[in-house]
Amino acid sequence: MKQAKAPLPSNTLPANTRSSSLAPSMARRGLVACGLASGCAPLLAAVGGLPTSVAHTDSSPEWDRLRGKLFADRPIVTADAKVQVQAPLRAAYGASVPLRITSRIAQSPALFVKRMYVVVDKNPSMLAAVLDLTPEIGQADFETRLRVDEYSHVRVVSELSNGELHMDARYVKTSGGCSAPPNRSSPNLIGKTVLKLPAGVAMNAPTTADVTVLHPNDTGFELNNQTVMFIPPHFVRSIRVSYAGQRIFDAELDFSVSENPTWRFNFVPHGPGLLKAEVEDSKEGHYVGELAVA
Amino acid sequence: MTGLLFWQLSAGPARWLRGVVVTITATMLVACAGVPASPPDPPPGRAAEVAPGVYVVRGVDAPLSTDNAGRVGNAGFIVGPAGVLAIDSGTSYRHGRQLLDEIARVTALPVRGLLITHTRQEFLFGATAFRERGIPIYMQQRAARLMAARCERCLRTLNEQLGADEMRGSAVIRVDHEFETAQALDITGRSVRVLYWGHSSGPGDVAVLDVASGVLFAGGLLDQGHVPDVQDSDLPGWHAALQALHALRDPPLQRIVPGHGPVSGPQLIATVQRYLAQLQSGAAKLLQQAASLRDVPDLLELPEFKDWQNYDNTHRRNASVMFLRLEQAQLAQ
Repeated sequence: MKQAKAPLPSNTLPANTRSSSLAPSMARRGLVACGLASGCAPLLAAVGGLPTSVAHTDSSPEWDRLRGKLFADRPIVTADAKVQVQAPLRAAYGASVPLRITSRIAQSPALFVKRMYVVVDKNPSMLAAVLDLTPEIGQADFETRLRVDEYSHVRVVSELSNGELHMDARYVKTSGGCSAPPNRSSPNLIGKTVLKLPAGVAMNAPTTADVTVLHPNDTGFELNNQTVMFIPPHFVRSIRVSYAGQRIFDAELDFSVSENPTWRFNFVPHGPGLLKAEVEDSKEGHYVGELAVA
Repeated sequence: MTGLLFWQLSAGPARWLRGVVVTITATMLVACAGVPASPPDPPPGRAAEVAPGVYVVRGVDAPLSTDNAGRVGNAGFIVGPAGVLAIDSGTSYRHGRQLLDEIARVTALPVRGLLITHTRQEFLFGATAFRERGIPIYMQQRAARLMAARCERCLRTLNEQLGADEMRGSAVIRVDHEFETAQALDITGRSVRVLYWGHSSGPGDVAVLDVASGVLFAGGLLDQGHVPDVQDSDLPGWHAALQALHALRDPPLQRIVPGHGPVSGPQLIATVQRYLAQLQSGAAKLLQQAASLRDVPDLLELPEFKDWQNYDNTHRRNASVMFLRLEQAQLAQ
């Protein structure tokens, strides 16, 4: 199969800057023609002799390179880190691997998690998400779902407001076989953004919320099974969440996030207000989801 | 190499014997119920007659591995007065050659065509061996397109899993005869019907019915003792197709050669329907309870099917896939 595009030399990401062009630049990097959309076909370790005894804390050549670009030689705390990652050891479905991130510090103006980097080492585009956080989220815990293309570390680096970097990682094995045909249902609803409060509201305390965008998050590597032509990349690039006009967090994303991107997060309501998510995708689509909180 | 050969020689008969024991027990049970007795499950890789002129070549009932050269899918063929129709082609060029040898062992008649029932790797890549002999290849159009869209990738993975030597000569083939609808395929002088109901277990999955014997080659529609894979499926379409199989009267179904697992009776249809129904209702219940995707594979246990092949992987994936589909439907409301 021909690759969608010629691979470009890996570009250097500006360390510690959040650029609105981050997602597209990530998209152009490392074009392995393997189908992220479907969490394609690993099983490699079962037969082909890929390491099965990799430790969660191990590095990888891919991570070593990205780490250099993102953080140069800044130290990263891994022992007793302030961030904790949970992911299944053996993912049932590589196209949608649940990830839970827990912070071991409370968000206070004095010290808070300022930024989180979510990385899937072996994906063609490693940097799945960069989250820009405010103290207003109350507690920097997140849940999302990722595409994991092959046996890979999934890692999260938390940058604290005092400049410290903390990291935790999990080595995830996905079970393979043929990849599923890309989902083409509900094209007219692409961008529909839904906000939910799964556990109700707690005033002046961290309140859990879900934001989900109905979106195929096409990688650009998949072929349409009717036309046998490449499906152009089309994915959610950013989600910006605010409450009562105040910024809660911004997420810069790419197609390593699963179809129908979803994030569970916290925010601290101090009174009634509008919880709002502004979404932008790679085809300049703008969508808004709102939920009145009282 | 010697070790592997020894394993095959010793484990093969053992599994064969176990199959006999199980089947004899099952035979005694159905014999009491007044249903025709089923023959014992033949060993993998050997052509065995299911009905006069209708043969199955069983795959190995195990996950794909180097131990079984990935030959985990069933194949078969129907012998007519004017030649042979082969049904499904195996995992690799080498496997396809072996299937052709099995046909030649049974009949000197020429192979007039190969029909590929669905787009799964263990049924596809042996087609290169049939192509080499100039045998025309038939496939439903949507199945052929799905193959073109994704199977280079499967082939690469298979090369890594089984090794380049085992996969030598294998390729994604060009289909000679793409068809869209259900139709007769009487190229052997024997009445054979290709059944198609639209997107079911896969977008272009077909079944093959030998009219004289009532033997059905079910392809992706039915597996026996193996968890069926729902990734490619349209569930309502699949249920509709299975209902249509239930309703077949002319001729009524006698035996079913499933995509995976031993040859079965028509009751297999209801068994697979039950799996799909339980999977769907289980996922719906978990969605209603706002379960987290991370817990779904553990929570969606189906005790009736826990001894099926691939329960520990395909079923867990099925649980996730079904949950995500229902969740998407809810989002789209």
